[in-house]
Amino acid sequence: MASKTASKDIITLRGSTAIVSEFFGYAANSILYNRGVYPEESFGRVKKYGLPLLLSQDEGVKTFIANLNTQLSEWLEAGKLQRIVLVIMSKATNEVLERWNFSIETDREVVEKGVSREKSDKEIMREIQAIMRQIASSITYLPCLDEPCIFDVLAYTDKDVAVPFTWTESDPKLIANPQMVKLHSFNTKIHKVDTLVSYKNDEWDEQ
Amino acid sequence: MIVRTPPLKKRRPDATGNSESPKSDGRFVIFEDLPEPEPELSHQHSDQMLCTYQCRQLVKADFLDALSSAEKQSQDYQTKLETMDDNLRKSEAERMKFRDQLLYAEQELAAAKGCEQALQDQLLKEVNESQERLRKQIHIHSELETKFRKEMELRKNAESLLSSAKQKASDLEGKLSHVSESIEREKVRLQKELTQLKQESKFSMSRISADLERMECKASNSEKEAVLLKEQLESLQTKLNECLHEKNEVEKKLTTLTCQEFPSDDNILVRHLREELRNYESEVREARKWKASHEDIELLREKLLEEKGRRERAESEVLKLSEAQINGKKLEDELSSWKLVMKEIPGVTSAVDIPLKFEALQKEVLEGMMKMGEVTARLKQVEVALDVAENARQNVETESALTNEKMELLKLELKRTELLLSSTTEERDRLKIIVDQLKQQKNVEAGTAMTDGTVKELEASLVMKEDLIKKLESSILEQKDVNARQHNEIKLLNERLSSESRRIKSLEREDDRLRSEIAILESKLGHGDFSSSSTKVLRMVNSLAVDSEAKQTIEALQNELQKTKDKLQAIEELKKQSGDAGTLVDSYISGKVVQLKEQIATLEKREERYKAVFADRISVFRRACCELFGYKIVMDDHQRSDGIPVTRFTLQSIYAQSDDEKLQFEYESGNTKILGNNYTQQSEISHQVEIFIRKLNSIPAFTANLTVESFNKRTLS
Repeated sequence: MASKTASKDIITLRGSTAIVSEFFGYAANSILYNRGVYPEESFGRVKKYGLPLLLSQDEGVKTFIANLNTQLSEWLEAGKLQRIVLVIMSKATNEVLERWNFSIETDREVVEKGVSREKSDKEIMREIQAIMRQIASSITYLPCLDEPCIFDVLAYTDKDVAVPFTWTESDPKLIANPQMVKLHSFNTKIHKVDTLVSYKNDEWDEQ
Repeated sequence: MIVRTPPLKKRRPDATGNSESPKSDGRFVIFEDLPEPEPELSHQHSDQMLCTYQCRQLVKADFLDALSSAEKQSQDYQTKLETMDDNLRKSEAERMKFRDQLLYAEQELAAAKGCEQALQDQLLKEVNESQERLRKQIHIHSELETKFRKEMELRKNAESLLSSAKQKASDLEGKLSHVSESIEREKVRLQKELTQLKQESKFSMSRISADLERMECKASNSEKEAVLLKEQLESLQTKLNECLHEKNEVEKKLTTLTCQEFPSDDNILVRHLREELRNYESEVREARKWKASHEDIELLREKLLEEKGRRERAESEVLKLSEAQINGKKLEDELSSWKLVMKEIPGVTSAVDIPLKFEALQKEVLEGMMKMGEVTARLKQVEVALDVAENARQNVETESALTNEKMELLKLELKRTELLLSSTTEERDRLKIIVDQLKQQKNVEAGTAMTDGTVKELEASLVMKEDLIKKLESSILEQKDVNARQHNEIKLLNERLSSESRRIKSLEREDDRLRSEIAILESKLGHGDFSSSSTKVLRMVNSLAVDSEAKQTIEALQNELQKTKDKLQAIEELKKQSGDAGTLVDSYISGKVVQLKEQIATLEKREERYKAVFADRISVFRRACCELFGYKIVMDDHQRSDGIPVTRFTLQSIYAQSDDEKLQFEYESGNTKILGNNYTQQSEISHQVEIFIRKLNSIPAFTANLTVESFNKRTLS
């Protein structure tokens, strides 16, 4: 969570990092639930951002996201993270079907000089809530995933980042000729997160 | 021992013993006397046998010496005997010992024999077993040999099949080449034929045309002839008619003359006439012949027409042929161009791919169309903006027109006022003239007081008029100024308008450019592109997923293995029943099994590696935790009495002064509880537990406080 200082409207790099990484955890869970990557019964309901959200109870997924968030926090705090991509792939063919793209712009001044910014938690939460609502409503236009799917997370980092032990360099897992939908964005005044989902063109559309 | 002197009876000479040599009887010889009696030894043998005193003394001394030495020796022997006895005893004891040892060794030997027996038995068994195994192996070997032979046979068959197939292939190739050659030849032949035919057709055409010409000439000749013959015919007919007429006349004459003239003359005339008639008849025949020839000419003409038609047809056919050839060439060209196109199209190897390629291209086209639609939409937006700008420009233009009109009006007014001015000046002049005239009149009339008032009035009006004129002039000047200013304003506005329109256009262009740029960038961004110079893409090694996947794969593979084993058994049974049918399947399955085993091995290896990596990382994490928070943390899983699994954490501060200083916590689904032990039950610690954990509900505060306290204790003590 954001560091709770005397004034609520002050936000530090660490607090912003916590908000962004937490957001990513919830967003990933929400996507996994809404896109049916894991069975419905493996999710539990919690209240967050003023919304009922679903969190995976699967130990594997929980550990994965926890480990991921730890590493992402480290990069976010160093201002080295440019983008996080949650990729949904076909389990059978490994074909990339959806890319949930979270672009991150970091305020360089904050990272370099350690200054803080001013924005209320409430406002940030409201922005995040809008994104969460959009993720939940995305099932209306995204094509059906009618085969078993797996997910993977890609991190676009600066070139000078040392690759951690549990990470490895990867290809960007792009979709050829994708459809794109831009979702809302949120800004902590330190990190600006733009959300975009690109997905494989449904053949039915073209016929 | 020294030999003593021999007994006397032995001194008696023996008759039989004389023959023996004197040295062999063992007589006592004094060695001192030996050199003297030697020469007479053979003569005085009996005298030498006597013992002298000296001798006796010597003997005695010798004897005594001998005795003493013998005594000594006996003593020695006694001692020796004793020592020997001792030795004997010792050796007896040793013997006993050795006997014991012997017995023991015998026992050992017996045991060893038993052992050996047992080992031999075992060995025997093993030998038997190994023999059995060997037998089995031999059996298997023989089976394998048979299999091998079968395999070899199969291989030979396959090879023979292969060679036959190769031969066939070569045959076919030969045939193919033969066929292609024959096709080529045929083609060449056909082409030759075609050229021949063409030539022939040309020849025939020329021939036909020559014939035609000939026929035409003939026809024209025959036509001419016909015309001539007709003319002849006509003349002959007229002649015939005349002749007939003459004949009739002659007959009439004859009839009239028969009664008048002599028959002889008549007869001559008749004859003459008959001859003439015959001549005429022959002429008629000729004419008929001519007529027939005329009919022939007609027929020939018809034939000619027919021939002409045929020629035309042939010509048209030739034309068609050339057209067909051109078409053929065109088709060939098209074919070659298609082939070239096919070669040029990437990813197309055969004609079947072309529709697919076309589909892809059509898709691309559709996409392009969609993009174009987007672009046109944007264009429309821009157009709308342009329209708005145009409207604004028009507004400004109308405004400027209005101001122009105003200016015109003002000019008109100015003119009007100028006219007014001129009229008033004229009037003034006139009035001045009148005044002058009046003045003159006044001078003339000398004081006509009547006019004075009018003059004054007129003068006053004149002044007023002049004032008016001045005012008007000033107003005109003002108007002019205003006009000039408005002109300037209009010019400025016009300039601004044009600059604004230019700016609008440039902005529109900029807008378009930026839009396209934005679109490109957005598409790139959405697509996930990145510059490899500043960014790298990382992904987390999803060990859990991989692990579970690997486990699943291993399970699946194991299941498969089981299945294949079952299958193998079934097949082996079948094989036993049906002999060699199963051998092929057998080898295939064994290959598969080996492959699967390899897969399993690699997956297991990977699992091991992941585990190792995980353990490594965990240990690093633990050490870091210990360093950072000052506690060694040991985690282990327990099960409560009711079967619920809980995780127990044992914390030991690095500043702890004894091993008993341990804190125990239980962690279960997000809740951490402290467990009581000897250490926490100490009054000081329990107090802290009460305050920090029970009241303030903060374990970190408690541990931190404890750390600080332990640290202080350590450093202060």
